[in-house]
Amino acid sequence: MLKTPEWGMMIVLYFFFGGIAGGSYFTAAIADNFGGPRAARVARVGYLLSLPLVALCGLLLIADLGTPSRFLNMVRTLKFWDPMSLGAWVVGVFGLFTFVSSVLSFSPSEETAVLRRRIGLVGMLFGFFLASYTGVLLSATALPFWSDARLMGALFLASGASTGMAAISLILALTGASPADGMAKVKQADRYSMIIELVVLALFLIALGSAARPIISGHFAPLFWGGLVAIGLVVPLVLEFVGHGRAALGAVSAVLVLVGGFILRYVVVMSIQS
Amino acid sequence: MARTLAMFTDTSLCIGCRACQVACKQWNELGMEQPEWTGSYQNHAHFTESTFRLVRFMEAPGASPNGDLAWLLMSDVCKHCAEAGCLDACPTGAIYRTEFGTVNINQDVCNGCRYCVSSCPFGVVTFNEHTGTAKKCTFCNDRIHNGLGPACAKACPTESIQFGFRDELYTKAQKRVETLKAMGFKDAQLYGADQKGFLGGLNAFFLLLAKPSTYNLPDNPKLPQRNVVVDSLLSIGSAVVVGLGALLAFRNRGNGGGHA
Repeated sequence: MLKTPEWGMMIVLYFFFGGIAGGSYFTAAIADNFGGPRAARVARVGYLLSLPLVALCGLLLIADLGTPSRFLNMVRTLKFWDPMSLGAWVVGVFGLFTFVSSVLSFSPSEETAVLRRRIGLVGMLFGFFLASYTGVLLSATALPFWSDARLMGALFLASGASTGMAAISLILALTGASPADGMAKVKQADRYSMIIELVVLALFLIALGSAARPIISGHFAPLFWGGLVAIGLVVPLVLEFVGHGRAALGAVSAVLVLVGGFILRYVVVMSIQS
Repeated sequence: MARTLAMFTDTSLCIGCRACQVACKQWNELGMEQPEWTGSYQNHAHFTESTFRLVRFMEAPGASPNGDLAWLLMSDVCKHCAEAGCLDACPTGAIYRTEFGTVNINQDVCNGCRYCVSSCPFGVVTFNEHTGTAKKCTFCNDRIHNGLGPACAKACPTESIQFGFRDELYTKAQKRVETLKAMGFKDAQLYGADQKGFLGGLNAFFLLLAKPSTYNLPDNPKLPQRNVVVDSLLSIGSAVVVGLGALLAFRNRGNGGGHA
């Protein structure tokens, strides 16, 4: 009886990249404001990563529309109680923040840095929103599992944090940053985020009970348990703790976290639509 | 707002002729589709982008007054909910409420995001790939603005579909339930007629001869947007915990100097 929206890979990718964009921006803003000079590189990488990702998000959303030429109709009106209406506005506003922060991150002057940090503190709120509203959007539908999940937004936010931080640490590793460049700190932040994500995921499943069937059993179960829980969360956490500082293992664990973040969005979006 | 208009579909009078389904297609210029086998005379299985009125055929063992198998017929349609999930979900404002209380999709504004499709508790709204927009029953918006009833109600030969002012139809419907109960149809009941009931009442409401689930209707449909506040608060809680974690990790412990 119920109909599914047939949201496909473009929406999965949007949820995934939107999470990284939001997560890397608020990580950058926190590093910028509270991390001191040693976290400066984390902040710059975070800001610069969020800019192209949020642009890509906008393109994915437009391409997914039935009538892409009417994408501006999304900002014809603003409904405070409607996740999609708010979300469309936030993609635009957050995009502006990522642009300004990215530009300011190139200035060596301390005065610009003060301005950038303040802008970061405000933009961070939009980053949190972008990383989580997609979960609330799914739970505000008439469809089973999605509408039963009270913690979908909270889970997407934790995943946005873990993947955003993993992406920053991966870029730092690939660009030859040393632990002194804030690498150790962003890794530590990522470990916290992964632990929070595991806890939220456990609460999410407990609260759902049998309503979680589309992901915990059947066709999507191997991806969920093997791909997200094992490869995307448990293995990277173990690698972080036993690998202790070895750069190669750190990069591997960051890649696994990103894979897990993608699988989370894929499993959630596709499981009740197939 | 003008006085609320409604359609009352009395399924006890339906003979399954599908005149409503055909009239709807003709008036609204809805194209033909590939028929599909549903195991009964029903065609199609669900609402589509070109089928806004759909006569459902249900075989319900033991549902007739003498305990025999009942052959239940129901001409189904968009319910034009007083609290409409599709309308609340629509980010463009393409879905709007008319002065008569009906819910309509402005085809010139809809951009095909499909959020309304997943927000309808009855699976009514359908995405049309050719137009790139969402489609559903318009309550014959052009007709009601010119003093005519919807095409389906006009075509119905048994007055199973009645069109009129909501309050008058509601009174009529209540009397009809009593009559049917006296005739032995013990499960006769109204669906969506009560404005204090679910979704603020349906402006296309029904008289059913069995419980709603027999007709594949939800017993107690809920507004999808009811969860937004709680879910948002839980997300904010998650943001605070994640933010504190990051703060803890990045906080300068006086080992590198700095402004913070």
